[in-house]
Amino acid sequence: MGMTAGSGGLQSEINVTPMVDVMLVLLIIFMVVTPFLQKDVQLTLPRDMKNAEEDTAINADSSVVISIPEDGKYYLSKKQMGLDELKAQVEKALANKKEEEKIVYIKSGVQVSYGEVVNVINAVREKGIDRIGLVADKKKGEPQVTAAPAT
Amino acid sequence: MGMTGGGGRAVPFINVTPLIDVLLVVIIIFLVITPLKPSRFKADIPSQRDPNEDVSKLKPNPLTLVVSISTDLQLKLNQDVMGSVNDPGALSAKLQQTFQQRREQHAYKVGMETATNKPEDERIEKTVFVKAPRALHYGDVVKVIDAIKGAGANPVGLQVDDLP
Repeated sequence: MGMTAGSGGLQSEINVTPMVDVMLVLLIIFMVVTPFLQKDVQLTLPRDMKNAEEDTAINADSSVVISIPEDGKYYLSKKQMGLDELKAQVEKALANKKEEEKIVYIKSGVQVSYGEVVNVINAVREKGIDRIGLVADKKKGEPQVTAAPAT
Repeated sequence: MGMTGGGGRAVPFINVTPLIDVLLVVIIIFLVITPLKPSRFKADIPSQRDPNEDVSKLKPNPLTLVVSISTDLQLKLNQDVMGSVNDPGALSAKLQQTFQQRREQHAYKVGMETATNKPEDERIEKTVFVKAPRALHYGDVVKVIDAIKGAGANPVGLQVDDLP
């Protein structure tokens, strides 16, 4: 449709209409898919932490992530469950892991009372876990303070 | 730029250049936001208490550092008051100073005194325990952990028994 105007003369501009079409479609796909990509529960993590260490294992499918959003419920990955079921599931999930990989990640909202977090910690340590990772958002653009390497 | 051609006649095309500009910016914003790298604080928790264990035989380690947070958000390192949750600078400075002293005095972890094959930094006793009341917000506790990690503490242990 772009080549009909100009009374026979050559049109010297690129026809961008198809590109715009494709881009709009891409944009819409992105907008629709993004909420589904989020793997876990919506909560406000602690922000702007200077010394949190990056750990890509948090997003791995095999890692155990317990979320505690503000509503005071507990979620393992995306599934809500009570403390007892949580214990059983955590034990099952970590049964086949090597000793040094046995770590439970806790994502908790900032407004959650520390007691709730302690309840979860108490539950997982019954299953022989003694290391946890408290998930937090790192402050962007700040070089990590090189403290002693993690054990 | 779309309106110059056509020898004086109006060209029946919409000028899409600004639209593309905006779209490109939006796509770039999306690309930047999506792959946020997650990060975490590693913390140790005590293993399950053995009810038959004789606690009275355990000797307290003189190098133990405990940071306690009170319900009014004041911080304490062992017995000394050190600023508040929103201003943990004093605590960080004191911890850093303590670790520096230990480095000079070669105050090693129990069992690490002779482990000369390990780097010096790993052998210094830098364990810090955090004790916070249950009523506190989780966000405040994490702020304190951030400050403690910033001072170089490793590992950080959470005290979860007998919390007020």
